[in-house]
Amino acid sequence: VTRLACPFCGPRELREFEFRSTVAAAGSEGEFERTYLRVADTGLSIEHWQHVGGCRAWLLVRRNPSSGETLDVELLAGEAP
Amino acid sequence: MSARPPRRGTRLEAGSLSFTFDGRHYVGQPGDTAASALLANGVRLMGRSVKYRRPRGLLGAGPEEPNALFGVGEPPHQIPNVPATQLALRAGLTLRSQNRWPSLRFDLASLLQAGGGFFSAGFYYKTFMWPSWRSYEPLIRRLAGLGAAPLACELPPPAIEHLACDVLVTGAGPAGLAAARAAARAGASVVLCESEPACGGELEFERGSIDGQDCDAWLADTLAELGRRGARVLTSTTVVADNHGEIIAHAEPRGLPGDNTVYRICPRAMVMAAGTLERPIVFTNNDLPGVMLLGAAERYLARYGAAVGRELVLFANHDRVYASARRLLAGGMRVRAIVDTRRAGDAADDDAVRRLRSDLGAAGVEILDGCAVTAAEGGRGVRAARIAPLLGGGSERRIRCDTILVSGGWSPAPHAGLPGGGANGRLELADAIADGHAAGARAAADCGARGHAGAPPLARGDPPPRLAAFARSPCSLADEKRQFIDLQNDVTVADLRVALAEGFTDIEHVKRYTTLGIGTEQGRSSAVVGAAILAELRGESPAAVGTSRSRPPYQPVTMRSIAGFRVGDAVMVTRRTPLHDWHATHGGMLEPMGLWMRPRYYQANGASAFEAAVAEARRVRAHGGIADGSTLGKLEIAGPAAAAFLDSIYLGKASTIRIGRSRYMVNLREDGMVLDDGLVLRLGEDRFLATVSSGHGTHMLAHFEHHQATRWSARGVNITDVTDAWAVIAVAGPQSRSTLGQVLAASWQQPLAQLGHMHFAAGRHADQELRVLRAGFSGELAFELHCRPDMAVRLWEELTAAGLAPYGLDALDILRVEKGYLTSSEINGQTTPYDLCMEDMVAAGNACLGRALLDRPAFHEAGRPRLVGLRALDGRSRFLAGAQLTAAAAPSQPRGYITSSVYSLTLGEWVGLALLARELASGETALTARDPLRGADTPVRVASPVHFDPSGSRMKA
Repeated sequence: VTRLACPFCGPRELREFEFRSTVAAAGSEGEFERTYLRVADTGLSIEHWQHVGGCRAWLLVRRNPSSGETLDVELLAGEAP
Repeated sequence: MSARPPRRGTRLEAGSLSFTFDGRHYVGQPGDTAASALLANGVRLMGRSVKYRRPRGLLGAGPEEPNALFGVGEPPHQIPNVPATQLALRAGLTLRSQNRWPSLRFDLASLLQAGGGFFSAGFYYKTFMWPSWRSYEPLIRRLAGLGAAPLACELPPPAIEHLACDVLVTGAGPAGLAAARAAARAGASVVLCESEPACGGELEFERGSIDGQDCDAWLADTLAELGRRGARVLTSTTVVADNHGEIIAHAEPRGLPGDNTVYRICPRAMVMAAGTLERPIVFTNNDLPGVMLLGAAERYLARYGAAVGRELVLFANHDRVYASARRLLAGGMRVRAIVDTRRAGDAADDDAVRRLRSDLGAAGVEILDGCAVTAAEGGRGVRAARIAPLLGGGSERRIRCDTILVSGGWSPAPHAGLPGGGANGRLELADAIADGHAAGARAAADCGARGHAGAPPLARGDPPPRLAAFARSPCSLADEKRQFIDLQNDVTVADLRVALAEGFTDIEHVKRYTTLGIGTEQGRSSAVVGAAILAELRGESPAAVGTSRSRPPYQPVTMRSIAGFRVGDAVMVTRRTPLHDWHATHGGMLEPMGLWMRPRYYQANGASAFEAAVAEARRVRAHGGIADGSTLGKLEIAGPAAAAFLDSIYLGKASTIRIGRSRYMVNLREDGMVLDDGLVLRLGEDRFLATVSSGHGTHMLAHFEHHQATRWSARGVNITDVTDAWAVIAVAGPQSRSTLGQVLAASWQQPLAQLGHMHFAAGRHADQELRVLRAGFSGELAFELHCRPDMAVRLWEELTAAGLAPYGLDALDILRVEKGYLTSSEINGQTTPYDLCMEDMVAAGNACLGRALLDRPAFHEAGRPRLVGLRALDGRSRFLAGAQLTAAAAPSQPRGYITSSVYSLTLGEWVGLALLARELASGETALTARDPLRGADTPVRVASPVHFDPSGSRMKA
């Protein structure tokens, strides 16, 4: 990835964003699972990013780590998946 | 130095340029590269190989060059690893060969090889094991590595230009030009990058026609049309990296470091028409100076009028070698033999080739069909070629020569994008140009360009070369140690065999184990040949083996270019407190802390940092002092749900704090480790101020916001970073209250007298907002003054005038260690609240972030660390943070470590904090602080972490 499309600000250079972590697959239950059992899939990485150099929104980014392709960016609001 | 007649070549201009190579003076011509100028001066030895220190000369004429890498300039500014083939000659250039010591002609380490030592793959890992790698490391480091990094840099920053376009075309040869033209005609915006100083690529050597024009006329027309259509054509610009769609192209006047431009290009589609790279053929001693690529010899002759040798043997597996031979003959070189790996019938199949062969034969060139060069002979250069028939029958020949030119076919140059032309395996002009056109039209269409790309150019040129794959000449097993595949990294066929025997079969594993295709070369001359030979050894097809992935940059790039303007002070911003200038002008020794600069101590207070800090701390305990706490992170949490929000993120209940009070609180990471600590102030019913650690401010803001975005489904909370909105002056010491009483207005007298520990009051000072919090980090009666930044210097100077001297971070550290207060040394990301003796907080706490995972059994085992105080057993000796703690029973097993240690003048001895295995924390076991790096082992004992005033009587005074 070199750009991410912020839902508020539109496509922006990656340097405006900060990565926090990969997150567990949707449906993971329990704190332990959510904290430690992250997705390790060569085709799909689910990640939290913040638009620190822009609107400061927290984003849920789905990415293909093998190809570098960004599949989807959405706003994080409320309970994490 | 004899005067030479001027050379003539398509790249050369009249004139002369003098330069030095390894201290000797030479003269070249404007337009020369360093390689062509040295070649024209008869220099053939240009470097030594990185591992065996074998003498090496030029292999190629372009970016594929693995051997002739020079240091440019004088140390300490010398720039290493500049390929001589890519370096434009200029007057006064100072060049140095690499990988030799003491000199190029005599290299000490090459004696290793004379002693019979050829290191096989994995040699270093296997050999330097006893007694330990460390005992060999200094010597190996001296010998290892490509070139030497400059110790200083005075290069100017590069210009950086950002470009956005529809189609980026890499390579302005026939295919790239056709692609760019097609895309531009279709209406796409086009950027065309060409690494050579001029466009045209292989058109330079084509005598065919395109759309009825000769190649030069078509080139001129096409460039004119591209200009009219607004295409950007960048020459001397190499595309060096593709960062997932952002293309870094690097423009330098022919590899000359400095005075360059970095283009950051965001194209919507790419056409890769970077052409081909000629493959060598591997034979014994094929690394000797004088063994070169056939195409390189032609380029040196045509472009620079430089002859690669006098007596040539040509060795190839295709029929373009015959036309080349004729051109080299015409250039004045003597071609003694052409060795064609194919049988006579294959080569004579074509009329034109048959005619060429008979002409060459008539000119005295011996043509050896079905043969291979099996070995080169010579010391510092080729003296003869050994030639043997490939299919039995006939005996080995030895032909005297000074140069062996090899050509094993052409491979696509590795680059990113939609391939077109030679880069797509199209080696014939008509084919390549049509392919480039189609790729350009397709790329434009992918970008949504609706125009018509027009008809593909119709070209007529040389027929496609007929070729029979041939990667290496047969040889004995022993000679495989001298069949070099990767010249830059000294990888031989024998190394590949070792790798396979040891189970490294995949091409990527072979690359890493043998170093095939690493370094600046990245497989450009070796990848395909290496894959073919690996395939032979594995008994598979080259396609099944594949090539390893080459890494960016495509060509060596200076770190200066990569760094751009982000050097020195521009690497990071510097945050300055409102009192920054005051500290700087009053002897404050400023040191970076995160992005902030904070005074460690004030020079007037002692001859050394240690003395000053001890004196400052003692003065605070005796009278009082002030410190700049403005770096403290300050987050204001407001809204109807603010209290509930804080309850969900802090261990402990912020909702039970009363207005006007504050509480020491900690928060946890998701995994239960303590993240940060600080005071939380309740400003109003639905308004709080959370203070966070100085270095942590921005991180904690992001953490709070993340919590809000992920786990806080309710609304009603607003988080604002007010760090820069409030300056903080810490006032500590027994005289703090009385001094504040003198400084502040009369209206403050009563609040000051009544203010309880951890309470705060808001009011005004000199008509500006002021908040006074009774709290501190020293264990003394102490206050924090929160004021507006504009007020800070005035208030600070009023306090100093009233007799309170400033103290720095080191004194602060002494005061807090004496009291057992924690900083990031203890809250280090590896400690739970239990480890830090915060059981009460957990017990009284709530279901906050990270709380659930605190119940994991591993957090309660006997080996978990526990915060303890530490004193020297003899009450005198010094011990330092970082030392490991061991028990007498197992003196080499660390059971904990010292996190903080200071000299306490108040207590007259060293005091410290440590994280010690819980089972030893009771203090019954004798401990030693082991500090081998700093040379001392100190017997220590466990003490209370609160070394000074355990009852807290002073701060509650």
